[in-house]
Amino acid sequence: MRKQFLLYIGVIIISIYFFYPIYILFLVSFSPIQFTLKMLYPLQYPISITFSNLIVAIHSFELIDPMIKSLKTALSVATLSIIIGIPTAYGISRLPQKISYLVITIIFIVDMMPSIVTAIPISSEFISLGLYDTFIGLALMQELIVLPLVTFILVGAFQSIPKEIEYQARIDGLGMVRTLYRILVPLSKPAIIASFLLSWMFSWDEFTYAIILSPIRPTLPIIIYDNITRGNLLASTSFALIVSIPVLILTIILQKYLKGEYLAGGLKG
Amino acid sequence: MNREKYISYLFVIPALIYVGIFSFYPTLDAVYLSFRNSHGQFTLDNYLALTTFGLYHSILNTIFITIGALLLQLFLGLIVASILMKEFRGKNIFSTIVILPIGFATVVSAVTFSLIFSSIGGYANSILLSLGLHPINWYANTPSSIITLILADSWKNTPLISLILLSGMVSIPPEIYQAAAVDGAGPIRRFFYITIPNLKSFIAISLIIRGISEFNIFALPLILVGYRPLFLTTLVYELYSTTATYFYSVAAASILLAFITVFIVIIIKLGGYKK
Repeated sequence: MRKQFLLYIGVIIISIYFFYPIYILFLVSFSPIQFTLKMLYPLQYPISITFSNLIVAIHSFELIDPMIKSLKTALSVATLSIIIGIPTAYGISRLPQKISYLVITIIFIVDMMPSIVTAIPISSEFISLGLYDTFIGLALMQELIVLPLVTFILVGAFQSIPKEIEYQARIDGLGMVRTLYRILVPLSKPAIIASFLLSWMFSWDEFTYAIILSPIRPTLPIIIYDNITRGNLLASTSFALIVSIPVLILTIILQKYLKGEYLAGGLKG
Repeated sequence: MNREKYISYLFVIPALIYVGIFSFYPTLDAVYLSFRNSHGQFTLDNYLALTTFGLYHSILNTIFITIGALLLQLFLGLIVASILMKEFRGKNIFSTIVILPIGFATVVSAVTFSLIFSSIGGYANSILLSLGLHPINWYANTPSSIITLILADSWKNTPLISLILLSGMVSIPPEIYQAAAVDGAGPIRRFFYITIPNLKSFIAISLIIRGISEFNIFALPLILVGYRPLFLTTLVYELYSTTATYFYSVAAASILLAFITVFIVIIIKLGGYKK
Protein backbone atom coordinates (compact mmCIF):
# COMPACT_ATOMS: atom_id res chain seq x y z
CA MET A 1 0.00 0.00 0.00
CA ARG A 2 2.77 2.40 0.92
CA LYS A 3 4.44 1.79 -2.44
CA GLN A 4 1.22 2.49 -4.34
CA PHE A 5 0.80 5.68 -2.32
CA LEU A 6 4.28 6.91 -3.24
CA LEU A 7 3.65 6.02 -6.87
CA TYR A 8 0.51 8.13 -6.97
CA ILE A 9 2.24 11.06 -5.25
CA GLY A 10 4.85 10.95 -8.03
CA VAL A 11 2.17 10.64 -10.71
CA ILE A 12 0.29 13.64 -9.35
CA ILE A 13 3.33 15.93 -8.97
CA ILE A 14 4.65 15.09 -12.44
CA SER A 15 1.19 15.45 -13.99
CA ILE A 16 0.78 18.89 -12.46
CA TYR A 17 4.18 20.03 -13.74
CA PHE A 18 3.43 18.84 -17.27
CA PHE A 19 -0.22 19.85 -17.41
CA TYR A 20 -0.29 23.20 -15.60
CA PRO A 21 1.35 25.26 -18.42
CA ILE A 22 -1.08 23.76 -20.97
CA TYR A 23 -3.96 24.65 -18.65
CA ILE A 24 -2.69 28.23 -18.33
CA LEU A 25 -2.36 28.58 -22.12
CA PHE A 26 -6.00 27.53 -22.54
CA LEU A 27 -7.14 29.59 -19.54
CA VAL A 28 -5.65 32.82 -20.88
CA SER A 29 -6.82 32.13 -24.43
CA PHE A 30 -10.43 31.50 -23.42
CA SER A 31 -10.89 34.00 -20.57
CA PRO A 32 -11.76 37.69 -20.83
CA ILE A 33 -8.57 39.69 -20.49
CA GLN A 34 -9.73 41.47 -17.32
CA PHE A 35 -9.46 38.17 -15.41
CA THR A 36 -6.06 37.19 -16.83
CA LEU A 37 -3.44 39.58 -18.17
CA LYS A 38 -5.07 42.68 -16.72
CA MET A 39 -4.86 41.26 -13.18
CA LEU A 40 -1.61 41.53 -11.30
CA TYR A 41 -2.32 38.23 -9.54
CA PRO A 42 -4.59 36.43 -12.00
CA LEU A 43 -7.10 33.80 -10.92
CA GLN A 44 -6.18 30.14 -11.34
CA TYR A 45 -9.63 29.11 -12.57
CA PRO A 46 -11.98 30.41 -15.27
CA ILE A 47 -14.72 32.84 -14.23
CA SER A 48 -16.27 33.15 -17.65
CA ILE A 49 -15.44 31.77 -21.04
CA THR A 50 -15.02 33.82 -24.19
CA PHE A 51 -14.04 33.10 -27.75
CA SER A 52 -13.41 36.72 -28.58
CA ASN A 53 -9.60 36.49 -28.04
CA LEU A 54 -9.35 33.75 -30.64
CA ILE A 55 -11.82 35.39 -33.02
CA VAL A 56 -9.82 38.62 -32.89
CA ALA A 57 -6.63 36.62 -33.50
CA ILE A 58 -8.06 34.70 -36.45
CA HIS A 59 -9.40 37.87 -38.06
CA SER A 60 -6.17 39.76 -37.57
CA PHE A 61 -4.49 40.44 -40.87
CA GLU A 62 -1.26 39.38 -39.18
CA LEU A 63 -2.18 35.72 -39.02
CA ILE A 64 -3.13 34.68 -42.56
CA ASP A 65 0.11 35.33 -44.47
CA PRO A 66 2.35 33.73 -41.82
CA MET A 67 0.04 30.73 -41.69
CA ILE A 68 0.25 30.24 -45.46
CA LYS A 69 4.01 30.62 -45.31
CA SER A 70 4.28 28.13 -42.43
CA LEU A 71 2.07 25.62 -44.25
CA LYS A 72 4.04 25.90 -47.50
CA THR A 73 7.36 25.58 -45.69
CA ALA A 74 6.28 22.63 -43.54
CA LEU A 75 4.82 20.73 -46.51
CA SER A 76 8.02 21.31 -48.50
CA VAL A 77 10.18 20.10 -45.62
CA ALA A 78 8.04 16.99 -45.12
CA THR A 79 8.00 16.14 -48.84
CA LEU A 80 11.71 16.76 -49.23
CA SER A 81 12.49 14.60 -46.20
CA ILE A 82 10.69 11.64 -47.81
CA ILE A 83 12.25 12.22 -51.23
CA ILE A 84 15.79 12.35 -49.81
CA GLY A 85 15.21 10.10 -46.80
CA ILE A 86 13.99 6.94 -48.57
CA PRO A 87 16.95 6.42 -50.93
CA THR A 88 19.43 7.50 -48.24
CA ALA A 89 18.04 5.03 -45.72
CA TYR A 90 18.00 2.25 -48.31
CA GLY A 91 21.54 3.03 -49.40
CA ILE A 92 22.71 2.94 -45.78
CA SER A 93 21.11 -0.44 -45.20
CA ARG A 94 22.74 -1.88 -48.37
CA LEU A 95 26.25 -0.39 -48.33
CA PRO A 96 29.20 -2.28 -46.84
CA GLN A 97 29.22 -1.70 -43.10
CA LYS A 98 32.31 0.50 -43.07
CA ILE A 99 30.84 2.91 -45.61
CA SER A 100 27.33 2.98 -44.17
CA TYR A 101 28.95 3.71 -40.81
CA LEU A 102 30.75 6.67 -42.39
CA VAL A 103 27.53 7.99 -43.94
CA ILE A 104 25.72 7.65 -40.60
CA THR A 105 28.55 9.52 -38.89
CA ILE A 106 28.33 12.35 -41.43
CA ILE A 107 24.57 12.63 -40.91
CA PHE A 108 25.10 12.47 -37.15
CA ILE A 109 27.55 15.39 -37.37
CA VAL A 110 25.02 17.42 -39.39
CA ASP A 111 22.57 16.81 -36.58
CA MET A 112 24.98 18.51 -34.19
CA MET A 113 25.77 21.62 -36.23
CA PRO A 114 24.03 24.54 -34.50
CA SER A 115 21.35 26.12 -36.71
CA ILE A 116 22.49 29.58 -35.76
CA VAL A 117 26.02 28.83 -37.04
CA THR A 118 24.89 27.64 -40.48
CA ALA A 119 22.12 30.22 -40.79
CA ILE A 120 24.29 33.34 -40.73
CA PRO A 121 26.66 32.60 -43.65
CA ILE A 122 23.82 31.03 -45.66
CA SER A 123 21.67 34.15 -45.22
CA SER A 124 24.07 36.21 -47.32
CA GLU A 125 24.29 33.44 -49.92
CA PHE A 126 20.50 33.33 -50.04
CA ILE A 127 20.30 37.08 -50.56
CA SER A 128 22.47 36.81 -53.68
CA LEU A 129 20.59 33.71 -54.89
CA GLY A 130 17.15 35.25 -54.35
CA LEU A 131 16.25 32.58 -51.78
CA TYR A 132 16.24 34.93 -48.79
CA ASP A 133 12.80 35.31 -47.22
CA THR A 134 11.31 32.60 -49.47
CA PHE A 135 9.65 29.44 -48.22
CA ILE A 136 11.88 27.30 -50.45
CA GLY A 137 15.06 28.71 -48.94
CA LEU A 138 13.74 28.25 -45.43
CA ALA A 139 12.59 24.69 -46.19
CA LEU A 140 16.00 23.80 -47.61
CA MET A 141 17.64 24.74 -44.31
CA GLN A 142 14.97 23.31 -42.00
CA GLU A 143 15.43 20.03 -43.85
CA LEU A 144 18.81 19.72 -42.10
CA ILE A 145 17.01 19.33 -38.76
CA VAL A 146 14.70 16.53 -39.86
CA LEU A 147 16.84 14.59 -42.33
CA PRO A 148 18.88 12.71 -39.68
CA LEU A 149 15.76 11.74 -37.71
CA VAL A 150 13.89 10.63 -40.84
CA THR A 151 16.87 8.66 -42.13
CA PHE A 152 17.22 6.80 -38.84
CA ILE A 153 13.49 6.02 -38.64
CA LEU A 154 13.52 4.68 -42.20
CA VAL A 155 16.74 2.66 -41.73
CA GLY A 156 15.01 1.01 -38.77
CA ALA A 157 11.89 0.34 -40.83
CA PHE A 158 13.80 -1.16 -43.78
CA GLN A 159 15.89 -3.34 -41.48
CA SER A 160 12.79 -4.75 -39.81
CA ILE A 161 11.54 -6.15 -43.13
CA PRO A 162 12.55 -9.83 -43.46
CA LYS A 163 15.41 -10.26 -45.91
CA GLU A 164 13.57 -13.16 -47.62
CA ILE A 165 10.96 -10.78 -49.03
CA GLU A 166 13.66 -8.71 -50.67
CA TYR A 167 15.56 -11.78 -51.96
CA GLN A 168 12.34 -13.08 -53.48
CA ALA A 169 11.79 -9.78 -55.29
CA ARG A 170 15.36 -9.88 -56.61
CA ILE A 171 14.96 -13.48 -57.79
CA ASP A 172 11.81 -12.37 -59.59
CA GLY A 173 14.07 -10.02 -61.52
CA LEU A 174 13.39 -6.65 -59.88
CA GLY A 175 16.33 -4.23 -59.79
CA MET A 176 17.34 -2.41 -56.65
CA VAL A 177 15.35 0.72 -57.42
CA ARG A 178 12.18 -1.19 -58.20
CA THR A 179 12.64 -3.47 -55.18
CA LEU A 180 12.85 -0.37 -53.05
CA TYR A 181 9.83 1.46 -54.43
CA ARG A 182 7.56 -1.52 -55.19
CA ILE A 183 8.32 -3.80 -52.23
CA LEU A 184 10.04 -2.00 -49.36
CA VAL A 185 8.30 1.38 -49.50
CA PRO A 186 4.74 -0.04 -49.38
CA LEU A 187 5.76 -2.30 -46.49
CA SER A 188 7.20 0.68 -44.58
CA LYS A 189 4.15 2.88 -45.00
CA PRO A 190 3.59 3.55 -41.27
CA ALA A 191 7.20 4.65 -40.75
CA ILE A 192 7.08 6.83 -43.87
CA ILE A 193 3.86 8.51 -42.75
CA ALA A 194 5.34 9.04 -39.28
CA SER A 195 8.47 10.58 -40.84
CA PHE A 196 6.37 12.86 -43.01
CA LEU A 197 4.27 14.09 -40.09
CA LEU A 198 7.24 14.47 -37.74
CA SER A 199 9.07 16.54 -40.37
CA TRP A 200 5.98 18.65 -40.83
CA MET A 201 5.82 19.21 -37.06
CA PHE A 202 9.47 20.14 -36.72
CA SER A 203 9.20 22.70 -39.50
CA TRP A 204 5.91 24.14 -38.19
CA ASP A 205 7.60 24.81 -34.82
CA GLU A 206 11.05 25.85 -36.06
CA PHE A 207 12.39 29.20 -34.87
CA THR A 208 16.11 29.78 -35.45
CA TYR A 209 16.30 29.42 -39.24
CA ALA A 210 12.94 31.15 -39.59
CA ILE A 211 13.98 34.29 -37.71
CA ILE A 212 17.30 34.64 -39.54
CA LEU A 213 16.30 33.56 -43.06
CA SER A 214 12.74 34.80 -43.27
CA PRO A 215 12.24 37.84 -41.03
CA ILE A 216 10.35 40.09 -43.48
CA ARG A 217 7.52 37.75 -44.40
CA PRO A 218 7.68 35.57 -41.28
CA THR A 219 6.29 32.19 -40.30
CA LEU A 220 3.91 31.70 -37.35
CA PRO A 221 6.54 31.20 -34.60
CA ILE A 222 8.18 34.49 -35.61
CA ILE A 223 4.86 36.36 -35.57
CA ILE A 224 4.35 35.12 -32.00
CA TYR A 225 7.80 36.42 -31.07
CA ASP A 226 7.18 39.76 -32.81
CA ASN A 227 4.00 40.26 -30.82
CA ILE A 228 5.78 39.58 -27.54
CA THR A 229 8.52 42.09 -28.33
CA ARG A 230 5.77 44.63 -29.06
CA GLY A 231 4.21 43.86 -25.67
CA ASN A 232 1.11 42.32 -27.20
CA LEU A 233 0.98 39.26 -24.96
CA LEU A 234 -2.69 38.43 -25.52
CA ALA A 235 -2.25 38.21 -29.29
CA SER A 236 0.82 36.00 -28.91
CA THR A 237 -1.03 33.75 -26.48
CA SER A 238 -3.95 33.33 -28.89
CA PHE A 239 -1.58 32.75 -31.80
CA ALA A 240 0.35 30.26 -29.68
CA LEU A 241 -2.82 28.25 -29.08
CA ILE A 242 -3.71 28.30 -32.79
CA VAL A 243 -0.20 27.16 -33.73
CA SER A 244 -0.34 24.35 -31.16
CA ILE A 245 -3.65 22.75 -32.07
CA PRO A 246 -2.59 20.88 -35.24
CA VAL A 247 0.64 19.74 -33.60
CA LEU A 248 -1.15 18.58 -30.46
CA ILE A 249 -3.52 16.48 -32.54
CA LEU A 250 -0.55 15.02 -34.44
CA THR A 251 1.31 14.30 -31.19
CA ILE A 252 -1.61 12.30 -29.85
CA ILE A 253 -2.03 10.44 -33.16
CA LEU A 254 1.70 9.79 -33.44
CA GLN A 255 2.05 8.79 -29.79
CA LYS A 256 3.01 5.24 -30.70
CA TYR A 257 5.70 6.48 -33.09
CA LEU A 258 7.21 8.88 -30.58
CA LYS A 259 9.29 6.11 -29.12
CA GLY A 260 12.69 6.32 -27.64
CA GLU A 261 13.90 3.66 -30.08
CA TYR A 262 12.97 5.86 -33.01
CA LEU A 263 14.33 9.04 -31.55
CA ALA A 264 17.51 7.49 -30.20
CA GLY A 265 17.76 4.24 -32.16
CA GLY A 266 19.46 5.78 -35.13
CA LEU A 267 22.09 7.41 -33.00
CA LYS A 268 23.16 4.06 -31.68
CA GLY A 269 24.49 3.38 -35.17
CA MET B 1 27.03 -7.94 -58.27
CA ASN B 2 29.65 -5.22 -58.45
CA ARG B 3 27.26 -3.00 -60.33
CA GLU B 4 24.83 -3.25 -57.40
CA LYS B 5 27.47 -1.98 -55.04
CA TYR B 6 27.84 1.17 -57.13
CA ILE B 7 24.08 1.64 -57.24
CA SER B 8 24.04 1.54 -53.42
CA TYR B 9 26.48 4.44 -53.45
CA LEU B 10 24.21 6.38 -55.80
CA PHE B 11 21.38 6.13 -53.28
CA VAL B 12 23.24 8.06 -50.59
CA ILE B 13 24.93 10.62 -52.87
CA PRO B 14 22.02 13.12 -53.08
CA ALA B 15 21.86 13.37 -49.28
CA LEU B 16 25.64 13.79 -49.02
CA ILE B 17 25.65 16.56 -51.64
CA TYR B 18 22.74 18.21 -49.88
CA VAL B 19 24.36 18.25 -46.41
CA GLY B 20 27.68 19.28 -47.97
CA ILE B 21 26.15 22.38 -49.53
CA PHE B 22 23.74 23.40 -46.78
CA SER B 23 25.49 22.27 -43.61
CA PHE B 24 29.24 21.72 -43.98
CA TYR B 25 29.93 24.56 -46.37
CA PRO B 26 28.21 27.30 -44.31
CA THR B 27 29.73 25.95 -41.08
CA LEU B 28 33.26 26.06 -42.49
CA ASP B 29 32.45 29.42 -44.06
CA ALA B 30 31.46 30.75 -40.62
CA VAL B 31 34.74 29.59 -39.07
CA TYR B 32 36.71 30.99 -42.02
CA LEU B 33 34.96 34.37 -41.92
CA SER B 34 35.46 34.63 -38.17
CA PHE B 35 39.21 35.02 -38.84
CA ARG B 36 38.78 37.69 -41.54
CA ASN B 37 38.28 41.44 -41.53
CA SER B 38 36.26 43.43 -44.04
CA HIS B 39 39.28 43.54 -46.39
CA GLY B 40 39.51 39.76 -46.38
CA GLN B 41 42.74 39.65 -44.38
CA PHE B 42 43.50 37.29 -41.52
CA THR B 43 42.75 38.75 -38.11
CA LEU B 44 41.94 37.79 -34.53
CA ASP B 45 40.18 41.11 -33.89
CA ASN B 46 36.71 39.61 -34.18
CA TYR B 47 37.44 37.32 -31.26
CA LEU B 48 39.14 40.02 -29.22
CA ALA B 49 36.17 42.32 -29.77
CA LEU B 50 33.81 39.66 -28.41
CA THR B 51 35.22 40.04 -24.92
CA THR B 52 33.77 43.55 -24.79
CA PHE B 53 30.33 42.24 -25.78
CA GLY B 54 29.94 39.95 -22.75
CA LEU B 55 31.55 36.78 -24.12
CA TYR B 56 32.66 35.39 -20.73
CA HIS B 57 29.24 35.80 -19.16
CA SER B 58 27.55 34.22 -22.13
CA ILE B 59 29.91 31.21 -21.99
CA LEU B 60 29.42 30.74 -18.25
CA ASN B 61 25.64 31.14 -18.48
CA THR B 62 25.49 28.64 -21.34
CA ILE B 63 27.48 26.11 -19.31
CA PHE B 64 25.32 26.66 -16.21
CA ILE B 65 22.05 26.27 -18.05
CA THR B 66 23.30 23.17 -19.85
CA ILE B 67 24.42 21.43 -16.66
CA GLY B 68 21.35 22.49 -14.69
CA ALA B 69 18.88 21.52 -17.37
CA LEU B 70 20.57 18.16 -18.02
CA LEU B 71 20.54 17.28 -14.31
CA LEU B 72 16.89 18.22 -13.85
CA GLN B 73 15.77 16.51 -17.06
CA LEU B 74 17.70 13.34 -16.30
CA PHE B 75 16.28 13.24 -12.76
CA LEU B 76 12.69 13.85 -13.89
CA GLY B 77 13.15 11.58 -16.91
CA LEU B 78 14.22 8.68 -14.69
CA ILE B 79 11.19 9.21 -12.44
CA VAL B 80 8.76 9.42 -15.38
CA ALA B 81 10.25 6.36 -17.09
CA SER B 82 10.17 4.36 -13.82
CA ILE B 83 6.51 5.30 -13.32
CA LEU B 84 5.68 4.28 -16.88
CA MET B 85 7.26 0.86 -16.24
CA LYS B 86 4.63 0.21 -13.55
CA GLU B 87 1.01 -0.75 -14.04
CA PHE B 88 -1.53 1.48 -12.30
CA ARG B 89 -4.97 2.97 -12.80
CA GLY B 90 -4.90 6.05 -15.01
CA LYS B 91 -1.64 5.06 -16.72
CA ASN B 92 -3.01 5.93 -20.18
CA ILE B 93 -3.92 9.44 -19.11
CA PHE B 94 -0.56 9.87 -17.39
CA SER B 95 1.40 8.73 -20.44
CA THR B 96 -0.55 11.14 -22.65
CA ILE B 97 0.04 14.03 -20.23
CA VAL B 98 3.79 13.43 -20.10
CA ILE B 99 4.05 13.25 -23.89
CA LEU B 100 1.96 16.38 -24.62
CA PRO B 101 4.75 18.97 -24.11
CA ILE B 102 6.55 17.51 -27.15
CA GLY B 103 3.65 18.87 -29.18
CA PHE B 104 4.26 22.47 -28.17
CA ALA B 105 6.67 24.67 -30.09
CA THR B 106 9.50 26.21 -28.08
CA VAL B 107 7.99 29.61 -28.88
CA VAL B 108 4.67 28.48 -27.43
CA SER B 109 6.28 27.16 -24.26
CA ALA B 110 8.13 30.47 -23.94
CA VAL B 111 4.88 32.44 -24.26
CA THR B 112 3.18 30.17 -21.72
CA PHE B 113 6.00 30.42 -19.22
CA SER B 114 6.10 34.19 -19.62
CA LEU B 115 2.47 34.13 -18.41
CA ILE B 116 3.44 31.92 -15.46
CA PHE B 117 6.73 33.55 -14.45
CA SER B 118 6.48 37.33 -14.56
CA SER B 119 8.81 39.72 -12.82
CA ILE B 120 5.76 41.27 -11.15
CA GLY B 121 2.56 39.29 -10.66
CA GLY B 122 1.78 36.40 -12.97
CA TYR B 123 0.39 32.94 -12.35
CA ALA B 124 3.25 31.47 -10.31
CA ASN B 125 3.24 34.47 -7.99
CA SER B 126 -0.52 34.25 -7.67
CA ILE B 127 -0.08 30.67 -6.37
CA LEU B 128 2.65 31.78 -3.95
CA LEU B 129 0.40 34.56 -2.69
CA SER B 130 -2.56 32.24 -2.13
CA LEU B 131 -0.24 29.93 -0.14
CA GLY B 132 0.64 32.90 2.06
CA LEU B 133 4.15 33.28 0.60
CA HIS B 134 5.86 36.33 -0.82
CA PRO B 135 5.79 36.91 -4.58
CA ILE B 136 9.16 36.54 -6.30
CA ASN B 137 10.75 38.49 -9.12
CA TRP B 138 11.82 35.44 -11.15
CA TYR B 139 14.25 37.51 -13.20
CA ALA B 140 15.80 39.50 -10.34
CA ASN B 141 19.33 38.19 -10.98
CA THR B 142 21.24 35.88 -13.28
CA PRO B 143 20.94 32.69 -11.16
CA SER B 144 17.19 33.03 -10.68
CA SER B 145 16.72 33.82 -14.39
CA ILE B 146 18.68 30.71 -15.30
CA ILE B 147 16.67 28.56 -12.87
CA THR B 148 13.44 29.89 -14.36
CA LEU B 149 14.72 29.08 -17.85
CA ILE B 150 15.71 25.57 -16.73
CA LEU B 151 12.20 24.95 -15.36
CA ALA B 152 10.62 26.16 -18.60
CA ASP B 153 13.05 24.22 -20.79
CA SER B 154 12.68 20.99 -18.84
CA TRP B 155 8.92 21.15 -19.19
CA LYS B 156 9.21 20.79 -22.96
CA ASN B 157 12.21 18.50 -23.11
CA THR B 158 11.90 16.01 -20.26
CA PRO B 159 9.36 13.94 -22.27
CA LEU B 160 11.98 13.13 -24.91
CA ILE B 161 14.47 11.95 -22.28
CA SER B 162 11.73 9.95 -20.56
CA LEU B 163 10.93 8.17 -23.82
CA ILE B 164 14.57 7.31 -24.48
CA LEU B 165 15.09 6.06 -20.91
CA LEU B 166 11.83 4.12 -21.05
CA SER B 167 12.95 2.24 -24.15
CA GLY B 168 16.15 1.44 -22.25
CA MET B 169 14.27 0.19 -19.19
CA VAL B 170 12.01 -1.98 -21.34
CA SER B 171 15.10 -3.67 -22.78
CA ILE B 172 16.37 -4.82 -19.35
CA PRO B 173 15.31 -8.47 -18.86
CA PRO B 174 12.89 -8.72 -15.90
CA GLU B 175 14.68 -11.92 -14.75
CA ILE B 176 17.57 -9.80 -13.46
CA TYR B 177 15.20 -7.90 -11.18
CA GLN B 178 13.53 -11.08 -9.98
CA ALA B 179 16.90 -12.67 -9.21
CA ALA B 180 18.01 -9.55 -7.32
CA ALA B 181 14.74 -9.43 -5.39
CA VAL B 182 15.21 -13.08 -4.42
CA ASP B 183 18.70 -12.22 -3.21
CA GLY B 184 17.13 -9.57 -1.00
CA ALA B 185 17.91 -6.36 -2.89
CA GLY B 186 15.30 -3.67 -2.20
CA PRO B 187 13.83 -1.37 -4.86
CA ILE B 188 16.38 1.40 -4.27
CA ARG B 189 19.36 -0.92 -4.51
CA ARG B 190 17.86 -2.58 -7.57
CA PHE B 191 17.53 0.88 -9.13
CA PHE B 192 21.17 1.82 -8.52
CA TYR B 193 22.76 -1.58 -9.15
CA ILE B 194 20.64 -2.84 -12.05
CA THR B 195 18.66 -0.06 -13.71
CA ILE B 196 21.32 2.65 -13.85
CA PRO B 197 24.23 0.47 -15.11
CA ASN B 198 22.00 -1.10 -17.76
CA LEU B 199 20.79 2.32 -18.85
CA LYS B 200 24.29 3.75 -19.25
CA SER B 201 24.25 3.98 -23.04
CA PHE B 202 20.69 5.33 -23.07
CA ILE B 203 21.64 7.98 -20.53
CA ALA B 204 24.65 8.90 -22.67
CA ILE B 205 22.45 9.23 -25.76
CA SER B 206 19.96 11.46 -23.95
CA LEU B 207 22.81 13.58 -22.61
CA ILE B 208 24.25 13.99 -26.10
CA ILE B 209 20.94 14.87 -27.73
CA ARG B 210 19.79 17.20 -24.98
CA GLY B 211 23.23 18.61 -24.19
CA ILE B 212 23.69 19.79 -27.77
CA SER B 213 20.23 21.32 -27.74
CA GLU B 214 20.91 23.03 -24.41
CA PHE B 215 24.06 24.61 -25.79
CA ASN B 216 21.89 25.84 -28.66
CA ILE B 217 19.08 27.07 -26.42
CA PHE B 218 17.87 30.18 -28.23
CA ALA B 219 14.15 30.93 -28.62
CA LEU B 220 13.40 30.35 -24.93
CA PRO B 221 15.93 32.83 -23.44
CA LEU B 222 15.32 35.30 -26.28
CA ILE B 223 11.62 35.44 -25.43
CA LEU B 224 11.72 35.02 -21.64
CA VAL B 225 14.72 37.16 -20.71
CA GLY B 226 15.80 38.94 -23.90
CA TYR B 227 19.54 39.54 -23.96
CA ARG B 228 20.19 39.61 -20.19
CA PRO B 229 21.46 37.19 -18.98
CA LEU B 230 23.25 36.57 -22.22
CA PHE B 231 23.85 33.11 -23.72
CA LEU B 232 26.13 32.17 -26.59
CA THR B 233 23.24 31.90 -29.06
CA THR B 234 21.61 35.15 -27.99
CA LEU B 235 25.04 36.81 -28.21
CA VAL B 236 25.38 35.56 -31.79
CA TYR B 237 21.91 36.82 -32.64
CA GLU B 238 22.36 40.14 -30.87
CA LEU B 239 25.58 40.77 -32.82
CA TYR B 240 23.95 39.57 -36.05
CA SER B 241 20.96 41.85 -35.73
CA THR B 242 22.73 44.93 -34.37
CA THR B 243 26.08 45.12 -36.17
CA ALA B 244 26.40 46.01 -39.82
CA THR B 245 28.81 43.22 -40.68
CA TYR B 246 28.52 39.69 -39.44
CA PHE B 247 32.18 39.09 -38.59
CA TYR B 248 31.53 39.37 -34.85
CA SER B 249 28.51 37.11 -34.95
CA VAL B 250 30.33 34.36 -36.88
CA ALA B 251 33.18 34.58 -34.37
CA ALA B 252 30.70 34.05 -31.53
CA ALA B 253 29.09 31.25 -33.55
CA SER B 254 32.49 29.58 -33.98
CA ILE B 255 33.00 29.62 -30.22
CA LEU B 256 29.60 27.95 -29.82
CA LEU B 257 30.69 25.34 -32.34
CA ALA B 258 33.95 24.73 -30.47
CA PHE B 259 32.08 24.18 -27.20
CA ILE B 260 29.69 21.72 -28.80
CA THR B 261 32.60 19.77 -30.26
CA VAL B 262 34.32 19.58 -26.88
CA PHE B 263 31.07 18.57 -25.20
CA ILE B 264 30.52 15.70 -27.64
CA VAL B 265 34.06 14.42 -27.18
CA ILE B 266 33.65 14.46 -23.38
CA ILE B 267 30.34 12.61 -23.50
CA ILE B 268 31.67 10.00 -25.90
CA LYS B 269 34.75 9.43 -23.72
CA LEU B 270 32.74 9.27 -20.48
CA GLY B 271 29.61 7.46 -21.50
CA GLY B 272 28.99 3.92 -22.51
CA TYR B 273 28.59 5.24 -26.02
CA LYS B 274 29.81 2.35 -28.11
CA LYS B 275 28.95 1.68 -31.68
